Amino acid sequence: MKRWILVTFVIVLSLGFATPDPAAAQCRLGVPAIKIGVQGAASGPHADYGRQIEMGSTMAIEEINAAGGILGCKLETKFMDDENKAATGVKNARYLVTEWGAHFMVGTDSSGVAMAMGPVLAELKRIHFFTHAATHRLTEDLVADKKIKEIVRVSVPVYQDAIIAALIFKDRPEIKRWATIGADYEYGYASWSMFKDTLKKYRPDVEFVAAAWSPFLTLDFSPHVSAVMAQKPDAIFSTPWAGEAVMLLRQALIQGVFDQVQVWWQAMGGSVDVLEGITSEVQKDRFKGKLWATARYIHNWPDTPENKAFNERYKKRWARFPNYSAETTYSALFIIKAAVEKSNSLDTTKVIEALKGMQIRNPGGLRVFRSEDQQFVYNVPAGRPVMDPKYPIPVLGDLRVFDAKDYYRHPPFTPVVVTK
Amino acid sequence: MDNIAFQGLIGLSLAMYLWLISAGLTIIFGVLRIVNFAHGSLFMMGAYLAFTFYGLLGLPFWLAVLLSLLGVGLLGFVMERFFLRKIYGIDEAYQLLLTFGFILILDDAVKIIWGGVFKIPPIPAFLDGAWRMFGRPFPVYNLFIIAVGILVALGLWVLFEKTWWGRLVGATASDREMASAIGVNVPWVFSSVFAFGAMLAALGGALGIPVRVVAPGIGAAMIIQAFIITVIGGLGNLKGAFVSSLIVGIFSAYGTLFFPVFELFFIFVIMAVVLLVRPQGLFAR
Repeated sequence: MKRWILVTFVIVLSLGFATPDPAAAQCRLGVPAIKIGVQGAASGPHADYGRQIEMGSTMAIEEINAAGGILGCKLETKFMDDENKAATGVKNARYLVTEWGAHFMVGTDSSGVAMAMGPVLAELKRIHFFTHAATHRLTEDLVADKKIKEIVRVSVPVYQDAIIAALIFKDRPEIKRWATIGADYEYGYASWSMFKDTLKKYRPDVEFVAAAWSPFLTLDFSPHVSAVMAQKPDAIFSTPWAGEAVMLLRQALIQGVFDQVQVWWQAMGGSVDVLEGITSEVQKDRFKGKLWATARYIHNWPDTPENKAFNERYKKRWARFPNYSAETTYSALFIIKAAVEKSNSLDTTKVIEALKGMQIRNPGGLRVFRSEDQQFVYNVPAGRPVMDPKYPIPVLGDLRVFDAKDYYRHPPFTPVVVTK
Repeated sequence: MDNIAFQGLIGLSLAMYLWLISAGLTIIFGVLRIVNFAHGSLFMMGAYLAFTFYGLLGLPFWLAVLLSLLGVGLLGFVMERFFLRKIYGIDEAYQLLLTFGFILILDDAVKIIWGGVFKIPPIPAFLDGAWRMFGRPFPVYNLFIIAVGILVALGLWVLFEKTWWGRLVGATASDREMASAIGVNVPWVFSSVFAFGAMLAALGGALGIPVRVVAPGIGAAMIIQAFIITVIGGLGNLKGAFVSSLIVGIFSAYGTLFFPVFELFFIFVIMAVVLLVRPQGLFAR
């Protein structure tokens, strides 16, 4: 081999090694980018939640990157559809961590998917910030009891669906007979059990007279509605969500349910997609003021400049109102930012350490990290869907605001017997 | 007693809706011997087209349903004429792959065209309301579905027993080669039957939009139930599909009333019992 070729080769090689990668050089954590794996349900009648998770995370990352990233490191995301299936969620998590190289993960809509992912996260040694999945068992059993530290929850669990409802309706002495039309999986069982437990404490006189359960992808709820109405309940506790909630409400309307009951509690009915879906019914007052709802964040609360600005940016970016999975996921990214900046590290243990004592202002209000179950504590009101001239879709009005400490369960947790 | 009668009537409306979907699937299998997994997607397309004509363009509900049937019928014709026709002679696994491919394509197509968020148009005024039956308000919509289901059953009976096209189809179904030998244009019969089956799927989809959401993935929810019904009834047998729709619809409704804990398994229990007793289905030849 001619010597000059060899020399050139060596020079090129050494130049190549010497030239610093500009991105990695700016990044004080020594990685080309901080990678965030994002998951949610992006198909079927629940698809808007995954989409909102994606929109929330995308907007957060655009804002963080525009402001210089985290410790000079740019953020990168990859969104995957978990199809609301446990097996897909687990497979995606494995892929995101081992193949794609995620440093953190956020999202997940379904409780069933979340419970299946929990043990896998411990094995993968990556934190997943859950931003929708609501079963209390995720944080009470898997974190507080089994000590899986890779689980952090940014969104409020079924305390929101169940305990707030009990606190509101315990003061309605005329309502004595409750029935549920429940989601036929973990979320539906957990919230109904917790609702019954809480309400019984205040109101030993109430009866739980009927239950009908609808699996994922139920399109015709008329048998469920007629089955519970056969027992002449005073009030309905309903947990199907997203498109299923809209179908259920409309099918209940044409069975005249709102002439027969006093109250219909639609747990996550304060979500933007549900409010959009029932707009014409609310405009015509077809629920007769009997429909109550909450969510894990509602876009018209809290009435703060931060939240208003967030809504404005979100509407400008996506031409939609943010639903709760958008706000919780958006906020999760800023929680990651704060924790990484504090720990100056991407190491799982150090980042978890940095979360301790964290108090952070998000669009949804002040979130406080609770170490025992790694749950971010914040409050969300419940109310009745009403029209407000400032909005094209209904908002929650007649708001009942409870302090988070009054309706979150506290460690050490007494087990809730979850049954159908 | 009133409650049992009321629930039975609700079950009947569930049954008649399932019948609309499984009828098309049954006819296509009976004549073409194709297990059309994309039948649920055709149902979904029916819902989306009806939503577009009625909810977006503001056409009268009936006209929207009609246009949706024509649109999906055309789609069915194209699927048969340019795709399925190529694979009749080869291994059946290819039918599975091809129809499954259509599910993926159509699911993504609707996401691209209409977006991932579910749609729900306002309920047409003539379907909004209830009649008092067995002591409670019974929805006019559910009565309407019962009526349509019965009319479709009668219509299919007349079509296949009394008309020229129906006899042509019957002859082709029982012996392709013989039909071809006596001058029946078999490829034409196949195309028309597939388009007709697609239109029945679309009818189900279109008539669902007043109370159901239109979303990607609703086809997958329907196809499983429709398949179970055709299996219970005996693949390819219309009478069987009708009876098994009645069984599944009414039993599911009573299951929800009396055994709510087992809701999830009910339809599968019915299928398992039938298959244990009559593996070929209730009405198979």
